[in-house]
Amino acid sequence: MTVHSKLPQPPVADPVSAKPVVEYETLEAIFDDIRGHPLYDHEIHGCLNCGICTATCPSAQYYDYSPREIVQLLWTENLEGIYDAMHEKIWACAQCYTCAARCPFENSPGGLVMILREVAIKHELPSVKEVLRPFSRVLLKVVSTGNQLAPNMITREAFPDWGPNVAKVDAPLMVLRKAIPMPTMHTLDTAWEVNLRTSVELYTIWEASGVLKQLEQVDENLFDVVSDVMEEKRDEWEEWLEEQEEDDDD
Amino acid sequence: MAEDTEGKGAYRGFGADWAPTQLSETEARRATGWVEAKIDKRFLLTGKDRKEDVRALMWQLEREGEIVVHRVGEAQAPEMAKTLYGWDKKIPTTNLWHHKSCGQCGNIPGYPSSVLWIMNELGLTYLDETDQTSCTAWNYHGSGIGNVVSLAAVFLRNMHQAYVSAKAQGLPEGTFYPLIHCGTSFGNYKEIRGFLLHSAELRAEVKAILGKLGRLVDGKLLIPEEIVHYSEWLHVMRHRIKERQQIDVSNIRTTVHPACHVYKMVPEDVIYDDTVLNGDRVAVTTGLLQSLGTQVIDYSTWYDCCGFGFRHIIGEREFTRSYAIDRKIKVAVEEARSDVMIGHDTGCITTLDKNQWIGKAVDKVYALPVMADCQFAALTMGAHPYKLAQLHWHASPFEGLLEKMGIDWEKAKAEFETYLGEVKEGRIETLYDPKRAITSGPGHVKPPKSLQGA
Repeated sequence: MTVHSKLPQPPVADPVSAKPVVEYETLEAIFDDIRGHPLYDHEIHGCLNCGICTATCPSAQYYDYSPREIVQLLWTENLEGIYDAMHEKIWACAQCYTCAARCPFENSPGGLVMILREVAIKHELPSVKEVLRPFSRVLLKVVSTGNQLAPNMITREAFPDWGPNVAKVDAPLMVLRKAIPMPTMHTLDTAWEVNLRTSVELYTIWEASGVLKQLEQVDENLFDVVSDVMEEKRDEWEEWLEEQEEDDDD
Repeated sequence: MAEDTEGKGAYRGFGADWAPTQLSETEARRATGWVEAKIDKRFLLTGKDRKEDVRALMWQLEREGEIVVHRVGEAQAPEMAKTLYGWDKKIPTTNLWHHKSCGQCGNIPGYPSSVLWIMNELGLTYLDETDQTSCTAWNYHGSGIGNVVSLAAVFLRNMHQAYVSAKAQGLPEGTFYPLIHCGTSFGNYKEIRGFLLHSAELRAEVKAILGKLGRLVDGKLLIPEEIVHYSEWLHVMRHRIKERQQIDVSNIRTTVHPACHVYKMVPEDVIYDDTVLNGDRVAVTTGLLQSLGTQVIDYSTWYDCCGFGFRHIIGEREFTRSYAIDRKIKVAVEEARSDVMIGHDTGCITTLDKNQWIGKAVDKVYALPVMADCQFAALTMGAHPYKLAQLHWHASPFEGLLEKMGIDWEKAKAEFETYLGEVKEGRIETLYDPKRAITSGPGHVKPPKSLQGA
């Protein structure tokens, strides 16, 4: 697959050198974060190596990826193997959770992959920025508005492989949007009109839950843009509240 | 053994370390048949132990004063449905708060507009408002940005807004009950509800955040009694929809693509019905299509995902389109001879609908219409295919399907193009009074003082 071929390669150990490429303490710190994740014990309970997860996994049919391998690496605490998988393999998972539905141990390999992704971001593994580069438009949209997709993101330029029929009626996008019989959807920049209070509250959630810090680790420029947008919205909200108080006094 | 493998290759698994099985074609077919007999059935999900109904824990926490439960009450005229293990699930049928899907609203808007239109036709009450975020879980599953605390805070923040939203109309809190449009939100919210109920630490973290936002009820977290997907609402309403059906669809061969996050996440909370494909398949959507009289065709890759992948549809579309075409569209056309594939989730409809055109590059042209169950149901009830079902946003060729249903799509398209001229002049038709959509902040019109204390 094209993106994977561009990924930075994880360091390869020198077979005649005793010195590890990655210090053992680093591997341990990464595994501690995985094992200490609040959902870790919920997602893994054991493994018989039966492979039903891999047999049913869509990504296993197209990538060098196996949910069975992910579970085995974690269950056997193979720190080097885990580190290696976190560079590329974890990003192949399609997050369908078919593996979880089928596992006789009620493991969730898909859930374990999410833990590994979170920890890969925390430790700023070099593959993370590369993998998430195409996702930056979605990140900007979701962090600043709470919507993850907007009508003006669906263009023929952005999705040339979707063909010429992205819209089968030829009219300006805003006219087509206003022809949707739901007033909340007469928008271009967001999927629906987002209340100012919603955005301000969401920003507080991002701040308090550490998501903004994650964003800064992945894309500092995006973080700066989002911070500016949200500060403006907060000011706007404060001004509106003050106006309301003045109106009430009147 | 292996007497007829020569020249046909061995049946191999995946990966360099896998060895050929050396099974003959007959043996491989028998082995596959055995697996399908087991794993394609509901047995796969019910044959496990350690299952609990988290709602029991929820009621206990409420008794202990830890949380407040937003009940599905008489105001919502609930209908009962049975879930995987035969447990009851209360499905509200009216006074619903629409928790919209950003993917549907941004990309396939006929999806939510069909739901609201059906509610209008059935004389039901609802609120579609601007004060809501998406669940943010598409982003989380795609990028890893986010965490259980942020997902839980977003979930309960939106649920709280649903609870208090009626105040803007001078009605009591709890009047409207959330109806989740998106499959990803539905799966995510159910999973997160379980984590919240099990973890006092998580509840404490989320409570601190929601306290700052003023989103607690009597100083406690508000948890919804049931988390309800719109396809579940359609399921319990299917007989009432059938009563209003205007178009005979008994000649239509339908295939269903069930959404992974709807029925593979928290499977014990998913509706099954022994009268719907022997109870081996999730009942929603299939039950509706059966009630409408279509020929629902089961097919061998029913259980597969669509290929959406969350991250893949944005950054690795080779996977998405290959999987969508080879594992779903091709099978539905060649094996099931399907006239239309019907789904019940945002990402699936987008993936299966948009990724067909590119098949021309490799001579894989299948041309299968793809739409949501609510759009199909609305069409059978006489909804306008463009003004209401908004099919012009779909890339797959739906015109032939409409002809088979006896709908003159060319006439309908011309009517819609005429209507666009009205829209340009500002004469816009809507499903409800736009003033209701803003419940706070700029643009909000307060109810009369006599109603504000309600």
